[in-house]
Amino acid sequence: MSSISAQGVVERASAELSKRINGLGLRSSKHHATKGSVMERVTNVFCGGGNNSLVGAPEKPSRLLPTRGLSKNANQISLTGNSVSTPRRHRSLPAYLSWEQLVMDERFLTNFFMYFNACERCVLAQVCTRWRDILYRSPRYWSGLVPVLQCREMRGTQGNDRARLYASLLRRGFHSLSLMSASDEDAMDLVNAFPLASKHIHTLSLRCSSITDRGLEALLDHLQALYELELAGCNEITEAGLWACLNPRIVSLTLTDCINVADEAVGAVAQLLPGLYEFSLQAYHVTDAALGYFSPKQSNSLNVLRLHSCWEITNHGIVNIVHSLPNLTVLSLSGCSKITDDGVELIAENLQKLRSLDLSWCPRITDAALEYIACDLNQLEELTLDRCVHITDIGIGYISTMLSLSSLYLRWCSQIRDFGLQHLCGMRNLQILSLAGCPLLTSSGLSSLIQLRHMRELELTNCPGASKELFDYLREHLPRCLVIE
Amino acid sequence: MSTLNTVKSPAMNVNFFAFAIMPNIKLQSSDGETFEIDVEIAKCSVTIKTMLEDLGMDEEEEEVVPLPNVNSAILRKVIQWATYHKDDPPPPEDDDNKEKRTDDISSWDADFLKVDQGTLFELILAANYLDIKGLLDVTCKTVANMIKGKAPEEIRKTFNIKNDFTPSEEEQVRKENEWCEEK
Repeated sequence: MSSISAQGVVERASAELSKRINGLGLRSSKHHATKGSVMERVTNVFCGGGNNSLVGAPEKPSRLLPTRGLSKNANQISLTGNSVSTPRRHRSLPAYLSWEQLVMDERFLTNFFMYFNACERCVLAQVCTRWRDILYRSPRYWSGLVPVLQCREMRGTQGNDRARLYASLLRRGFHSLSLMSASDEDAMDLVNAFPLASKHIHTLSLRCSSITDRGLEALLDHLQALYELELAGCNEITEAGLWACLNPRIVSLTLTDCINVADEAVGAVAQLLPGLYEFSLQAYHVTDAALGYFSPKQSNSLNVLRLHSCWEITNHGIVNIVHSLPNLTVLSLSGCSKITDDGVELIAENLQKLRSLDLSWCPRITDAALEYIACDLNQLEELTLDRCVHITDIGIGYISTMLSLSSLYLRWCSQIRDFGLQHLCGMRNLQILSLAGCPLLTSSGLSSLIQLRHMRELELTNCPGASKELFDYLREHLPRCLVIE
Repeated sequence: MSTLNTVKSPAMNVNFFAFAIMPNIKLQSSDGETFEIDVEIAKCSVTIKTMLEDLGMDEEEEEVVPLPNVNSAILRKVIQWATYHKDDPPPPEDDDNKEKRTDDISSWDADFLKVDQGTLFELILAANYLDIKGLLDVTCKTVANMIKGKAPEEIRKTFNIKNDFTPSEEEQVRKENEWCEEK
């Protein structure tokens, strides 16, 4: 047995195979004994492997070659070249692909595209039709993206171009849609040219749009599967329009920078959306009274409330929130600059389910507020205190006792010193920390952060104390942590 | 005198291979060069592993596995890579829906892949044909990093891909993709 060379095997195989070729097709794929007959071994070799290329048919490479006299051109050597017909094979081996074949090969590409994020794939889809088609076929390549239709530019195109564009959204599995600079006519065009949107669009965002109540109503009538709505910079929309078109399917609503939105709009939201789960509002003119509109309807469903830059809101508004929405898990009062420590005390005492609290840009907050938070909010995981300029190391000391806290943002808290960092170093569960723009922290103070072994992200942008050497030191000692310069 | 040093004749060879835990195998490149390597290292190629199982190769036999699509320069690189990585733990199962990182190439691999673009592409072809998951992974990462941030036309040029869009299709696909934002 040991004297059989590959050369010999091929020669004998050729002779045998030409006689027995018809009987070879249905051989068992069972692993055969190593001491089997020459014939058995040879047939196995020739039956093994397969050509599973999806693109074209590259020449089948030989897997048993003469050991001498090898041709320079590998592709020319094949079983057919040895004048042996090819029987069916019982194992599938990858066929050899040339570069031109590889970059069109579905199996290779579906894997290769995974090395890119969704934004990068947008460029890849423009390379050629095959790449586009493979990418468009799988919604998984596009998760995390939202198509933003530039309505002004779309108006200039043919009707069937717009229809094709809508069709491509479905092909890629998008369920969200954003319209930029939309007028009522654009809304009507979508209603007419995109009938399937009624079933497939779950999330709609209208940004910087001149759309009026009429257009919004038509859109919301059409989009029967919609449950998430955002209106940003829609200055023609009135409170009456919201009363007319908000429907109870909506569980997530964002109203930002819409000039006509004030207390009445919140009234409409509270009245018409009993299942609301998430409400984000940024409106300068909303007052404490608006927060009194929430009813027991929402007290169970509403989990997430974000009031951004609602400048008029005071601690009285907080009283309304804690009474009507005791189940909040996420609360943001970012930029609600009239809130004081008393408001935070109300929150801490009454909203014990809070997991995330954002008090950034609330400059009246002091260390006392942090004491309330540390004492009562035992489930808090994320705390944002950016630009709370009165916070000192004492307040940080309170926070450092919070075992559940995993994310802490202290950007531009200008009074924090190294002593405060010493407190933070005891927070072994901390995973994300930002000290960006804290001017008093020194290099040696920051270096003590290596004690936070579970840290995943550390932001030190604009910290005068953060030197090149410090970053190297931190990266060396916290290898799993993303250190942001 | 150690047995290993006296192995000369084929007969002794038989004994040697019969008792050795890791026998060797010969791989032959397309240009006829033969490389003798540890079978276990060769088996990091699923293609070679399958081939050997199909051959039912005996350990005392001196089989030569021809690799008619891989030239000696590339095969040498592949063997170098496989030898360095022979004790790596098996790679974790892919989560097919998760974007793969490309910023985690080890410094050894990064140095290993400091080659011209043609060699890099040939290594991908070899890794794909030989079905060496780890090598395919790290070469794909390298190529992905190479084309990230490039325009479609530059990618076509790099990969030698023909632009088969009609002008109106190209305009359409541009809009479809430029009008996408992160949520």
